[in-house]
Amino acid sequence: MDHLAHVSNQPNSQPQSQISHLALDIGGSLIKLVYFCRYDDNCRDDDELRSQNESLGSESDNSRPVLGGKLHFAKFETSKINDCLEFIHSMKLHLGGFHDCTAPSSDKIFIKATGGGAYKFADLFKEKLGVSLDKEDEMECLVTGANFLLKAVHQEAFTYLDGQKEFAQIDPNDLYPYLLVNIGSGVSMIKVDGDGKFERVSGTSLGGGTFWGLGRLLTKCKNFDELLELSHQGNNRVIDMLVGDIYGGTDYAKIGLSATTIASSFGKAISDNKGLVDYKPEDISRSLLRMISNNIGQISYLNALRFGLKRIFFAGFFIRGHAYTMDTISVAVNFWSKGEAEAMFLRHEGFLGALGAFMSYEKQCLDGLTVNKIPQRFPISVSSAGNKIYCSMNGKSNDNESIECTVYRT
Amino acid sequence: MAGLNGDPFLGIDDNIEKLQYNNNSKEAIDKEGLVVGIGEDSSNNKNNNQGGEKDMAGNSIHRSGSRPQLDLSKAEIQGNSEERDPTILLPNQTDDISHLALDIGGSLIKLVYFSRHEDQSVDDKRKKIVKERLGISNGNRRNFPVLGGRLHFVKFETSKLNECLDFISSKQLHRGGIDSHHWNSEAPANENAVIKATGGGAYKFADLFKERLGVSIDKEDEMDCLVAGANFLLKAIRHEAFTHMEGHKEFVQIDHNDLFPYLLVNIGSGVSIIKVDGDGKFQRVSGTNVGGGTYWGLGSFDELLELSQRGDNRTIDMLVGDIYGGMDYSKIGLSASTIASSFGKAISDKKELQDYRPEDISLSLLRMISYNIGQISYLNALRFGLKRIFFGGFFIRGHAYTMDTISFAVHFWSKGEAQAMFLRHEGFLGAVGAFMSYQKHGLDDLMVHHLVERFPMGAPYTGGKIHGPPLGDLNEKISWMEKFVLKGTEITAPVPMAPPGTTGLGGFEVPSSRGATLRSDASALNVGVLHLVPTLEVFPLLADPKMYEPNTIDLSDHKELEYWFTVLSGHLPDLVDKAVASEGGTDDAKRRGDAFARAFSAHLARLMEEPAAYGKLGLANLLELREECLREFQFLDAYRSIKQRENEASLAVLPDLLLELDHMDEETRLLTLIEGVLAANIFDWGSRACVDFYHKGTIIEIYRMSRNKMQRPWRVDDFDLFKERMLGSEGKKPRPHKRALLFVDNSGADIVLGMLPLARELLRRGTEVVLVANSLPALNDVTAMEVPDIVAEAAKHCDILRRAAEAGGLLVDAMNNNSLDGSRGNSSSVPLMVVENGCGSPCIDLRQVSSELAAAAKHADLVILEGMGRALHTNFNARFKCEALKLAMVKNQRLAEKLIKGKIYDCVCRYEPAT
Repeated sequence: MDHLAHVSNQPNSQPQSQISHLALDIGGSLIKLVYFCRYDDNCRDDDELRSQNESLGSESDNSRPVLGGKLHFAKFETSKINDCLEFIHSMKLHLGGFHDCTAPSSDKIFIKATGGGAYKFADLFKEKLGVSLDKEDEMECLVTGANFLLKAVHQEAFTYLDGQKEFAQIDPNDLYPYLLVNIGSGVSMIKVDGDGKFERVSGTSLGGGTFWGLGRLLTKCKNFDELLELSHQGNNRVIDMLVGDIYGGTDYAKIGLSATTIASSFGKAISDNKGLVDYKPEDISRSLLRMISNNIGQISYLNALRFGLKRIFFAGFFIRGHAYTMDTISVAVNFWSKGEAEAMFLRHEGFLGALGAFMSYEKQCLDGLTVNKIPQRFPISVSSAGNKIYCSMNGKSNDNESIECTVYRT
Repeated sequence: MAGLNGDPFLGIDDNIEKLQYNNNSKEAIDKEGLVVGIGEDSSNNKNNNQGGEKDMAGNSIHRSGSRPQLDLSKAEIQGNSEERDPTILLPNQTDDISHLALDIGGSLIKLVYFSRHEDQSVDDKRKKIVKERLGISNGNRRNFPVLGGRLHFVKFETSKLNECLDFISSKQLHRGGIDSHHWNSEAPANENAVIKATGGGAYKFADLFKERLGVSIDKEDEMDCLVAGANFLLKAIRHEAFTHMEGHKEFVQIDHNDLFPYLLVNIGSGVSIIKVDGDGKFQRVSGTNVGGGTYWGLGSFDELLELSQRGDNRTIDMLVGDIYGGMDYSKIGLSASTIASSFGKAISDKKELQDYRPEDISLSLLRMISYNIGQISYLNALRFGLKRIFFGGFFIRGHAYTMDTISFAVHFWSKGEAQAMFLRHEGFLGAVGAFMSYQKHGLDDLMVHHLVERFPMGAPYTGGKIHGPPLGDLNEKISWMEKFVLKGTEITAPVPMAPPGTTGLGGFEVPSSRGATLRSDASALNVGVLHLVPTLEVFPLLADPKMYEPNTIDLSDHKELEYWFTVLSGHLPDLVDKAVASEGGTDDAKRRGDAFARAFSAHLARLMEEPAAYGKLGLANLLELREECLREFQFLDAYRSIKQRENEASLAVLPDLLLELDHMDEETRLLTLIEGVLAANIFDWGSRACVDFYHKGTIIEIYRMSRNKMQRPWRVDDFDLFKERMLGSEGKKPRPHKRALLFVDNSGADIVLGMLPLARELLRRGTEVVLVANSLPALNDVTAMEVPDIVAEAAKHCDILRRAAEAGGLLVDAMNNNSLDGSRGNSSSVPLMVVENGCGSPCIDLRQVSSELAAAAKHADLVILEGMGRALHTNFNARFKCEALKLAMVKNQRLAEKLIKGKIYDCVCRYEPAT
């Protein structure tokens, strides 16, 4: 993970306001950080800057102050929160990069944070870093983050079916309503009707935490990614009870169940005379992954159906770009909806909350500031002019560790 | 996916699709293997061109075996053709009519079988005359196409299949039961015998059945059976469905005209979610692969459910509070104890699998799966606008915590709009459905009032576990009881039980029925034998049969139950003494008496622990249980000699009483008669307080003392209203009643000195009188068999009674000097008749009365209910289409306080005009 912070001072930048450059999403299993670094002269040459300004063309108002920089994304396991604190400390992120002016006394510094840990670890942050956590509502952050990404970042959303990844063109004017399914430790399902207009309509406790927790207990895997990797090599039929297992290898055709349909996840483990420890970890992992992905896909679809939503965006750290997971979820949505609804995924899936928390600075500390037009390194057609923020992806499509952006002062 | 659409051949399409798919994709994901489920429009299959083949395939599923058909050629009635339900010989019947159906699942085999009642109809001449008077034709049989009998429910573990085969073989169930000689006595072992069966085992064990029993298994579709079973049970059994919230169980009366549509969720290894629109009309709309198999597969522990009751899922689940530092996430309505992520805590803890307590893992799994099923079920109910969701299947098995969790999930997600309901016979849906698939069972039109559920002592009734074969033999029952008592402390010792309460938390996260207050089998429901009595009918004079509730006292109030538990326990030694004495006090009688006492105590203890174990519990049920229990141990009439003695003593003083009455003017006489009924009602062996009286004087002394004490106004006193109806006011003579039904109570003074004189007064006024008495003995209650003799004896001293009794055909046996025909010819008097009420309990449930009584009610315009059991414990609040008079002396302090805010020995005289 690239933790380099490239900070630059724009020539015509005003004296620093109290802009904190860090926002946190402290979840049950992971801490997500989003932090903003201004371009550093050392890493951005003037040519590049110039070309940016050119590319902004007439839209840019040179009379406005511009903060150029990058949004960086980082994550830590919540259980290793000390590593995270150390990271923040070493990067002086909590001081908001106030290295060129007098830093205010740290006890007046607020850092935006969301997730349950914003409550749970508030004291720890105060103690270790001397900063207060300004708690932002989790759902609001998720929605703000998602709205931001879907509107501002080109090629943020994509479908994944039959192993084919396809970027979806989202018309920012035709974004709402949609269903946002955030799969963290647990799963939240949010109906989003507009900026700040949303409702958590459902959820399930079978989520990433279940996969990881149960998986860890059953396979002795050391971490989530290892478990996901394992599932690649597994065969769930060894452990799942299929329709064919019940009907002697034949389909239960009358109700349209083929012999290979999973009748009961882990159901074969009842009758076999072996304990779960006797099964191969990869088979367990795959069975578990399918169980949870299927279930999330099914409940999401049922909720989308309920509110007549055609688009379902899946996000959260459970997915982490894992092809098989996305495929399973997509097939589930496709299956239950008979092709009516489509599962879509977000490239910054894990950082919605943290991004949303970051965006919330706008309200208080970025007083008088509007985050605005983004410099683009790659020619990307930016459709709407009415939106406040445009971002472009920095680098390869899978590299979601930073987004270049510019903050304008109005 | 279009593929999964209910077409038998689509499986093949799917495979093709899959092959192509696999070629196209490196990420091989078998789409058709995704999840159990099928879309709603399964019938509108797009592959219409395969329709014909589809039908053929359907036929092969449904008609794979020959259906048993009756060969009626040369049928003849065996024995006396005038019997009501004569058996019919079918000499040419080749296929045995099997009375057995099976559901052979992965873990349990469920049997449903039917046995016919032994024919005990006593069709004497007297009864025939009564019937003629009441206009009951002899062609009755045609009204009852179904033979009376019993539907038995038995379970075996699939691993003990041989026990099951032995059981079937010993009872000859595969040949239509032991009584099959009625059908075809000479039949050799029949090669064509066919048994209906469903479940995976119907395929797996078909050869074994052929080999061991020589029968073929006719395989019925599982979904068809589930739905047919659920429909039957929901329609035929009054208290089949119940809700279960926070440990509180409540039975739901389902109007069978308003049953459809509903969602049936069957939780087996996997879960099927079925929308049911009618008989045979259903659609599997959804399902989930996270079901019972997942629970046991992932759990891999023995006694997983047992374990979960002691578990604490908080050690392993990640709760909202774990994330929010102990706080609620109140903004979106999640409390700190809501599960955020099942098993989520296991990711950060350093613990390994073996470091967690199995019970915690088990509970966590149970909650995860139950919530999920509840949620998906609700979402599907919502989708189709269904308010009722019935959950069944072997996963639930009456387990309180599972039901609570599912209920919470449904309630939580629907914000109280939808209701999760469970079925008492949940495990038997498939087997009942298979049974229903016999074409000739004739049960289709069965009504709720035809079925009476009984809980024989012969089968282990502690419930929930495997039921062994029911014990038929009395000795087996007794020795089972004795064994039972040896182990009794483990099985049913009454356990102090906290009354079902709420946690106060209210959320869906903390169902209260967990941990210490819940015994392992506490919520396992018992399933009794369904007695099918086709002659039972709903009492036609009930004003609103649908709203009618017989019980006045609701025993779901735990204090009330405790009280009656104490009362009945207190009665028990005395009752056993009487019962043993009634059977001659032999050693055998003593042994049976002991067994009865134990059995009844065990029943009571079970009910204390789980009041709804046998369905909705009212006082009437409790009192009936006692009588059933006595009969079970062959105490047919424990009070026989007492009743006889008291009848004789009362009859001896009757002439004096009648003389006294005849000297009074009409108004005084009416009051004295009602006083007399109330006073005589004190003679009641069912009341502890009254039993003490018996030591204080002769019957007539007590009667007079009691009558003299009658101080009006009584606690409930509508006498003046009744008097006005009878005698009129201001010289206007009202017309007399056409026919009065007198529901009589006790033997002895109660009927002889109380009700008979009242009946006589009505007769004198030109009102036909029908005395309605019990079909079977209950305590010292007079039975319909006994009343005619009492009337005959009384008639010796009274012309009014004699003429009326003759007119009513009651004196056929008693008076040999009169010709039979004379009984009707001598018709200067209105008749006095006797009918049985169809029950054997001190109380009466008017939804299930004899067809005789129903017929007698046709022209009746006055109903008189007498005694605590029939007028107070039950029917106190019942409303009738005709006038009703409810008369009783309250011989129980608690009841007096509760019902009429009065004292013991207060009297009730409630007169209600027709509604």
